[in-house]
Amino acid sequence: MAKLMSLLWGAGSPPCWRVMITLEEKKLQGYKRKLLSFEKGEHKSQEVLEVNPRGQLPAFKHGDIILNESCATCLYLENQFKSQGIKLIPDSADDQAAMYQHMMEGLALTDKLNSVIYYDCSVPEEERHDSAVKRNKEALTAELKLWEGYLENVAAGSYLAGAFSLADVIVFPSIACAFRFGLSVGRYPKLAKYYSLLKNRASIKTTWPPHWVASPQGYDILKDL
Amino acid sequence: MAKAMTLLWGAGSPPCWRVMIALEEKNLQGYNQKLLSFDKMEHKSKEVLDINPRGQLPTFKHGNTIVNDSYAVCFYLESQFKSQGNKLIPDSQEEQALMYQRMFEGLTFYDKLNAVIYYDWFVPEGERHESALNRNKEALTTELKLWEGYLQKLGSGSHVAGPSFTLADVVIFPTVAYLFRFGLSAKRYPKLGEYYNLLKDRPSVKASWPPHWLENPEGQDTLKDI
Repeated sequence: MAKLMSLLWGAGSPPCWRVMITLEEKKLQGYKRKLLSFEKGEHKSQEVLEVNPRGQLPAFKHGDIILNESCATCLYLENQFKSQGIKLIPDSADDQAAMYQHMMEGLALTDKLNSVIYYDCSVPEEERHDSAVKRNKEALTAELKLWEGYLENVAAGSYLAGAFSLADVIVFPSIACAFRFGLSVGRYPKLAKYYSLLKNRASIKTTWPPHWVASPQGYDILKDL
Repeated sequence: MAKAMTLLWGAGSPPCWRVMIALEEKNLQGYNQKLLSFDKMEHKSKEVLDINPRGQLPTFKHGNTIVNDSYAVCFYLESQFKSQGNKLIPDSQEEQALMYQRMFEGLTFYDKLNAVIYYDWFVPEGERHESALNRNKEALTTELKLWEGYLQKLGSGSHVAGPSFTLADVVIFPTVAYLFRFGLSAKRYPKLGEYYNLLKDRPSVKASWPPHWLENPEGQDTLKDI
């Protein structure tokens, strides 16, 4: 099963991480994978463009089936391999609603993080404004406060939609990035608790970004948020 | 069933339209609904904020269950009402994969459209640049060519992710309809034009057609040169 699967991925990419966590959770270890470098522009190489005309990672294949959107890949894997590994979509209507809701909101969280962390990468120099940077930081702060609220009662086994689910698969990588980039544990205690509860989960530990293991010290772009 | 549901929505909102199409497809007509005005900032009213702290529409309740993201509502409804109305997630592995893939590409598609037609809404005056708007227009053009290609490959009469109408059509059709409303050229994008014509008279789409489009059939021409 896993032998028919291949993943082109990049280090430090939450979307790639989401797919890798899901593959672990569904007991699909043993898939082929290749680590590519964003810095060297390898995401725009012929190898990637053949699988993903958008030149983005992750790029995933299962036999002839191609999936290049991380959420799409995670939903596909959960639905195709429902009976193996961990159940990632809850049965109860309420938990399911919460799961889908937080999954999709997770995309807004990732966008807002990127708009702060990667501002200079995505905005040409002549178009940058301090007012925009400030506004993006304020939007990210408001977003993080929302998630603090969602995780008010976080505890072992009680995450974004009850038991560990696709919502956590989608969201955890961005939370981990936020702390990697200096988010204050003191100012966001619930997020910090969520982070510390899940960072040792097997699927997450196994797929931890290798360069984070190599250099545990991150950055401090978000320290004042 | 539908009587236990409430939708707060706004005219001119593809995300709201997605939810309304899904409700029709699952035979959940008769839900309570309230049309709010973006212009009057009613999406930031207490009524909305009580249900959706983000102050965004759509805002949807089913009994005590709240779901505010349009895709989340669509997934939730298909899952909870699998056995009624039209099946919106195909069984075949290949079709399912393509459906999920196109659905999430649909978010990018929608963003690129907004980056052009709502540039002035999103970017404060002091931060606007001709270069940025041009770049957004180029990005939209590239995106449109991708979707033309996807439809071309599937052949005439096809839906966006294969032979059947699926959740991918529920979430993407509103974006395509908006493109044409804002003046996209069907001559330059014939496959998208075909797709628009294929679905514009589908009962669920017709039943939820934006009311102000019926009042003013003529749209805008923001995208005529794209």
